[in-house]
Amino acid sequence: MQETSTIRLFKRGPTAEFRLFVLGVLAIALLLVDARTDALAPARQAVSVALYPFQRLVMMPRDVVEHVNSWVNAAAEVRTEKEALRQQRIELAQISTHAAQLAAENEQLRRLLNVADTVNQQSVAVEVFYEPPGAYSRRLIFNKGSSHGILPGMPVIDEGGVVGQIVRVTPFTAEAALLSDDKLSIPVQVLRNGLRLIAFGGNVHGKVEVRYLTGDVDIRVGDTLVTSGIGGLFPAGLSVAQVDSIERDAVSGFGVALAEPLSHPERNRHFLVLRVDVSEQQPESE
Amino acid sequence: MANRPRPETARAGRAGPSRSSLSALEPIDHAPFKRPSSSVFIWVTIILVWLISLLPWRVWPSAPDLLLLVIAFWSLNEPRRVSMFTAFAFGLLMDIHDGLYLGEQALAYVVIAYGAVKLAKRLQRFHPAVQALHMLPIFVGAQAVSHLLHSWLAGEWAGWTWLWSVLLTVLLWPLADVLLHMPQRRLDESDSSSA
Repeated sequence: MQETSTIRLFKRGPTAEFRLFVLGVLAIALLLVDARTDALAPARQAVSVALYPFQRLVMMPRDVVEHVNSWVNAAAEVRTEKEALRQQRIELAQISTHAAQLAAENEQLRRLLNVADTVNQQSVAVEVFYEPPGAYSRRLIFNKGSSHGILPGMPVIDEGGVVGQIVRVTPFTAEAALLSDDKLSIPVQVLRNGLRLIAFGGNVHGKVEVRYLTGDVDIRVGDTLVTSGIGGLFPAGLSVAQVDSIERDAVSGFGVALAEPLSHPERNRHFLVLRVDVSEQQPESE
Repeated sequence: MANRPRPETARAGRAGPSRSSLSALEPIDHAPFKRPSSSVFIWVTIILVWLISLLPWRVWPSAPDLLLLVIAFWSLNEPRRVSMFTAFAFGLLMDIHDGLYLGEQALAYVVIAYGAVKLAKRLQRFHPAVQALHMLPIFVGAQAVSHLLHSWLAGEWAGWTWLWSVLLTVLLWPLADVLLHMPQRRLDESDSSSA
């Protein structure tokens, strides 16, 4: 079994092994730098902007089909929506009288406590552009970006409450991590007793977790978690999730509460990005 | 000029007695020389599949990676036209589209393209199903490396659904062979009919 070396008659540039080595090292270097620092963000943004027209182009047929569909179904949709709205109006009438009462009372109390009024947030309505494939993270890409004033760190909400947080923007698109994304953490409060906690994206798919509960923490199944406003990124009082189960671990002595998010990013196409002041804050994720 | 047919007839005469065994033999391949595919066609298919990959159907966790399939296919069948750098560049584009770390899919693409280039000489004449069978471990290995790196850097493991995706991608190899070699086949047919 002797080694036979062939004579190379034609030069064909570097060998495949050399290319594999260079490109492999380059890929791994990119991976490390991108995972650990933000140094590659401008490059990623530039390529994203270049990609945008192609993404738009291929999505065009889908958008046309959706447009036609919604136009065709408009009558039926309007009818069901009218029914739902009528029912909602009756329910809301009750609630609004109650709320007016509470608001008056609240204002009085606030004046008493000399607390500044909560500022009404400016917001941008966004639409889902596409859902990035990948088994790791629950993310959504929206159709507006920094050119509409969206910045990383801003919260995203729908009618159910907090949906997630913007983690990355380009001039025309914005990427949001959903509540169940394990990179996200939100300061919350139990609505029933005001207990302050931090909710994390769950290891369990589609759930939010509150970890390290000591035995004496008063949290029950059915409790609603709302944002506490601590940290400044999420305005106080947005609903986040409802506790479904509490697991106590006898070994570590800590418990974990699993909660179901109250927002429904999988059902809606339209969301609201709250333009909170993120200039001095670092986004909580990544 | 006039001498030319003579050896033919002589050989035919000699073949006479053993005709029965020889006539049973068939040529191994009717078209022994493969034409190279045109580079325009190669690039058009890669860009078309790339555009298709931007569509939202890939949200399905075990969706096959058609772009990877086409790039690997061309790397194996036309290793001089499709370079590993092409694989790297398209891998990076997909990383950005999917919001993954830069280089994650680029690494897998490059490793698979390397495997295809290395196997090119051995496998080019083989049936596409055999080619697919040889490519399967390379696909699995490259994707495993990329997923392991991700789980190391991000501290999360994607589960095993990507194995289905790889399997589906490899299963589509024979189909890719039919579609991507179609222009060549048409040329071959027109040649043989004119002859």
